[in-house]
Amino acid sequence: MNNEWLRGRAELGLAALVVLIGGLVLVNTATLETPATVNVVGPRVFPTVVGAVLLGIGVWLGIDVLRGGHGEPDAGEDVDLSRPSDWRAVASVGAAFFTHVALLRITGWLIAGAVLFWGVAVALGARRWLRAAGVAIVLSTVVYLVFSHLLGVSLPAGVFEGVL
Amino acid sequence: MRIRRSRPAAFVAAACALALTLAGCGGAAGGGSGEGSGGVALDRLRIMAPASPGGGWDLTSRTAQQSMEKAGVADTVEVFNVPGAGGTIGLSRLAGERGNGNLLMTTGLVMVGAVQTNDSRHTLRDVTPIARLTSAYEVIVVPADSPYKNLGDLIAAWKKDPGSVAIAGGSAGGVDQILAGLLAQKAGVDPTKVNYVAFSGGGQSLAAILGGKVDAGISGLAEYIGQIKAGKLRALAVSSPTPMEGIDIPTIKQAGVDLSLANWRGFVAPPGLKPDEKQALIQAVEKMHGTEQWQQALEKNNWKDSFTTGEEFKAFLDGERKQVTSVLKDLGLA
Amino acid sequence: MDSLELLLQGFATAISPMNLLYALVGVTLGTAVGVLPGIGPAMAVALLLPVTFTLDPVSAFIMFAGIYYGGMYGGSTTSILLNTPGESASMMTALEGNKMARKGRGAQALATAALGSFVAGLIATAALAFAAPRIVDIALSFGPAEFFALMMLAFATVSAVLGGSLVRGLASLALGLTIGLIGIDSQTGQPRLTFGVAQLLNGVDVVIVAVGLFAVGEALWVASRLRQSGHGVIPVGRPWLNRSDLARSWKPWLRGTVLGFPLGSLPAGGSEIPTFLSYSLEKRLARRRKEFGHGAIEGVAGPEAANNASATGVLVPLLTLGLPTSATAAIILAAFQQYGLQPGPLLFDKDPVLVWGLIASMFIGNAMLLVLNLPLAPVWARVLKIPRPYLYAGIVLFAALGVYAVNAQLVDLVVLFVLGALGAVMRRFGVPLAPAVIGVILGPLAERQLRRALAISQGDYTVLVDSPISIGLLGVAALMLLVPVVGRFLRRRIDRGEQTGSQERAEAPAGEEP
Repeated sequence: MNNEWLRGRAELGLAALVVLIGGLVLVNTATLETPATVNVVGPRVFPTVVGAVLLGIGVWLGIDVLRGGHGEPDAGEDVDLSRPSDWRAVASVGAAFFTHVALLRITGWLIAGAVLFWGVAVALGARRWLRAAGVAIVLSTVVYLVFSHLLGVSLPAGVFEGVL
Repeated sequence: MRIRRSRPAAFVAAACALALTLAGCGGAAGGGSGEGSGGVALDRLRIMAPASPGGGWDLTSRTAQQSMEKAGVADTVEVFNVPGAGGTIGLSRLAGERGNGNLLMTTGLVMVGAVQTNDSRHTLRDVTPIARLTSAYEVIVVPADSPYKNLGDLIAAWKKDPGSVAIAGGSAGGVDQILAGLLAQKAGVDPTKVNYVAFSGGGQSLAAILGGKVDAGISGLAEYIGQIKAGKLRALAVSSPTPMEGIDIPTIKQAGVDLSLANWRGFVAPPGLKPDEKQALIQAVEKMHGTEQWQQALEKNNWKDSFTTGEEFKAFLDGERKQVTSVLKDLGLA
Repeated sequence: MDSLELLLQGFATAISPMNLLYALVGVTLGTAVGVLPGIGPAMAVALLLPVTFTLDPVSAFIMFAGIYYGGMYGGSTTSILLNTPGESASMMTALEGNKMARKGRGAQALATAALGSFVAGLIATAALAFAAPRIVDIALSFGPAEFFALMMLAFATVSAVLGGSLVRGLASLALGLTIGLIGIDSQTGQPRLTFGVAQLLNGVDVVIVAVGLFAVGEALWVASRLRQSGHGVIPVGRPWLNRSDLARSWKPWLRGTVLGFPLGSLPAGGSEIPTFLSYSLEKRLARRRKEFGHGAIEGVAGPEAANNASATGVLVPLLTLGLPTSATAAIILAAFQQYGLQPGPLLFDKDPVLVWGLIASMFIGNAMLLVLNLPLAPVWARVLKIPRPYLYAGIVLFAALGVYAVNAQLVDLVVLFVLGALGAVMRRFGVPLAPAVIGVILGPLAERQLRRALAISQGDYTVLVDSPISIGLLGVAALMLLVPVVGRFLRRRIDRGEQTGSQERAEAPAGEEP
């Protein structure tokens, strides 16, 4: 019963988040030093206003949810709103992304990019893993060569330093 | 189903076609790199521009790159950008590259200030000074219809009521504000009372001055010279130590305040270099400085040549740090 | 007609087979780089500038104009097709453009964007050629107080994208304002909300916010609720605009141009503001307002034209005064200086050949873009036929690439992902994304201008309503906020009289989750 009630009001978490961020802004602002050369409106005024607004909106949102209001989730032809959240897929996308970040400076963009593409593609339902890997490698090689060599965008070369 | 199967292949093919097109274009449009002349000292040199593409440090880095390639100081010379926080993010990156003898970073007065205002973990003392390359000077201007005819007038008004003279310039803690602070110090105005209005670039502060929204402005001479020559701004003083050739503006010293300030740029290298590695870098920069291309670039960009290397540059850097630190403290920024 | 003669002369210099080829190369390169999220026209030009150094000035400027317009168009393309604004100025395009694309009208969205850019570019360039000195006088009368009033007007446009629930729309705006606070305070150099992370001192780039919330957020949201069976392949639909599309587009093009050009010439930056104003204007004027949020072509045509016109407007203060008022303008200035030219009051007299050559090149760049992209619109639209997993993987890959390429900071990638997660949560709870991006852009601008105005006036608040311009702008802003509220109130009363509840629902701005 309790669980059921909470599920319908997951949005309270969002309200709490807004309140939390508001509190964070206010605390951070309170610790700001105001330099001696103070212009009329100092560096604290805006953050204080924004922090207070966040608190207010967070509370407002909370009340709105408790009264039964709720936001329509974003629809689209790729999402199925009748399904519960698939946390595994989300975590896989996150894992692919952070593996990319971790590898970027070590193996270089080419490999890190291929890992990211492959990871996201598989997490989002590409069933043929090998083919996805092939596409990932070809795509990231082409992108790397085009942007790094032809357009002069500086991307880490990593293990291909001096080779490609 | 049929469509789905064929798509990735088509996508890849399209990407390849794009790549080929670009390869063709790049080959046709890009200029070849210069031929090496003389002994190659370094196999690969990288120059870090601690700012976004398009800014002053980026331009200096890329100009240096071209001259270095011409001079053949290394097989490849590459520029990469590490922008952020007045260059201090690049500085931290450089400090982390201990012992890397193939890396230079472009730096300048702005970074000396940014290290202070941003409370940067690394300072310019943590890296190896290589060379000072160029200097540019600041100019103090007022709108053409301003009641202030010379620097004396401005300072007199300033002393009477510092807050009533709104001075426009670049970002907080930058060269423009440093000059405003130094001028206040020397003229006997309380630096904390200076009404300095920070704008996010020379263009925006210039618009405020031309529109008569502020009383005075400080910026690099190159940014304002067009307006000064066209008579839309009145230049009160330049920050050079001696009068500048071909420019009819008194120096701050001539106007009666003992002060000069150069917005210099130069190179530093990572810490922990062996003496010969440091020497190799200094030689590379010296060689670059000797090229005709570099000299032409100086002229084209209106950069004043202020080349110094090694110990001399190090001593200069120490002096700058002391001066800038003191004024930023007075301004409440450090 | 002295100017006209000079312009014709400019064309004579500019049109040669070789120069047309450079224009083509520039447009192609610019589009290719501009497609990357994070790399807008300014970056594209900065990256490709060295390529132009080897050419003579006129050819270089032609290529340069091509890169510039190409870069801008590349950003719109990804906005429309992939819901990934490549730069903040094309976010408004994504709102309606992507909905159109998902309905199989991607080619039409691309075509109205290309045509609108072309029309706006032509008119704005003509205005630049013939009226620049007069416009710049008006632009200079804008000081911090007037800009603050303009920011308030721009803020009022948020009401057009707040979506169905007021509190959720405002929450989004407030979150955006908070993100905008991160970084060094521009007036005093104090770090705010940086928590000791040096990379945050410069603030969170609005591009990262837009790409994070839109692109990465979408991928995460789709991952959490993936439709398992039968991904419908999006129909590519008919290419070309039909008569009704054109009829609905041409007025927004012109209105966008009229908004974009003068606002672009103001020396305060904020290239996005005209696109906000245009979107909100079109939504208010549209006969089929209910279509807004579901792919209204006016919502693509207007902002795209405004964006392009404002980009040309930037050249007004640059060419006449030598004022670089935006990142792009600063780079154009650098390009001028490479040829030993100093834009400024004397440029038109000293180097008429070059200035008019540049203006002619802009006409050519615009035309080339149209020639290249109009036929390609249906081809680009086919990108949507890529299987979904690969499409989203590609979006995330390019988002990560673009964001890393801008600053080469790993921290930026982490911020990108955090914002992506926030974007997914916002989608889950029906919180619209656009107000957040608007908050990130306008918050810092408004704060800076207000504080500058008050510093100059030494704390006298009346400075804010001291000029007719400020009063006028603030008045329009107040009207924009009040009219819909009053209108809704009145209509609700009528509804109650008629005992029908359906109209109220229709009247609330249709859900606009991008």
